[in-house]
Amino acid sequence: MQMKREIAIDQAKIDLYGKINGDNDIIHYDHDYCLKRGFRGTLVHGPHLSAFACDLAIKKYGKDWFYRGRLHTKWVGPVCPGDTLVVELNDDGSIVESVGGDVTVIGRAELETR
Amino acid sequence: MTRPDQLKPREDSVPGTPYDGFEVGAALPELRFSITPAIVEEYFASVEADRSLYMLDGRQAAAPNVLFPYMTVPLYRKYPPIQGIVMAEVEFHWHNPIWADETTDMVATGKVIEKFEKRGRRYIRWQADWKRADGTLVATMVNTFHVPS
Repeated sequence: MQMKREIAIDQAKIDLYGKINGDNDIIHYDHDYCLKRGFRGTLVHGPHLSAFACDLAIKKYGKDWFYRGRLHTKWVGPVCPGDTLVVELNDDGSIVESVGGDVTVIGRAELETR
Repeated sequence: MTRPDQLKPREDSVPGTPYDGFEVGAALPELRFSITPAIVEEYFASVEADRSLYMLDGRQAAAPNVLFPYMTVPLYRKYPPIQGIVMAEVEFHWHNPIWADETTDMVATGKVIEKFEKRGRRYIRWQADWKRADGTLVATMVNTFHVPS
């Protein structure tokens, strides 16, 4: 069964992640700089986006996720304040995150075979 | 030290590393740090995680991805970041849990494994192993990011 969640993105959430992340990269905090770089606004940190898929993975795989979970995420599009991010984990382990139908993250969450 | 912001050189705090400054194959200095229960809880909140999902045999574990904020620390301590780095992809393999009710002393090691250009953009790929101080493997990771010119 496909698993899905939606997350409303705002600058406060980016700032909260930035606090624990400890970065000072203006690509996450300076709106005008991001416009000059060609983005719609400041960018959510890539690993922050990946984390949204992890709650779905632990639901799917349970205890095994701690011992042989494998997460691969590729950040292919920006996610900015004002966006509603849709996070999906499909039956085959594929991850798709999107904003307004535009794909922003692709990847896989699966268990390593040992 | 425990928090990523105590461990990680911040952009503009020291001169950053351009693409040409990364050396393929050179080992990164070993990084020792501690993940405290407070960090585990702050991370749960920062990514809106449901902590109840991370109970393991009746004990509260951290989200394995609590390592994400530490992800760049081993690299950035040797190669401080310039402004405008954009992450491209990451792969994590998790091998053992980090518990939420105790402080976990960690050791990270790694190296730059590849530099390449694709569609006019320059990328760095590097890998890291994350172990408890007793040698237990917690996670392995490969990360790729774009360094702006």
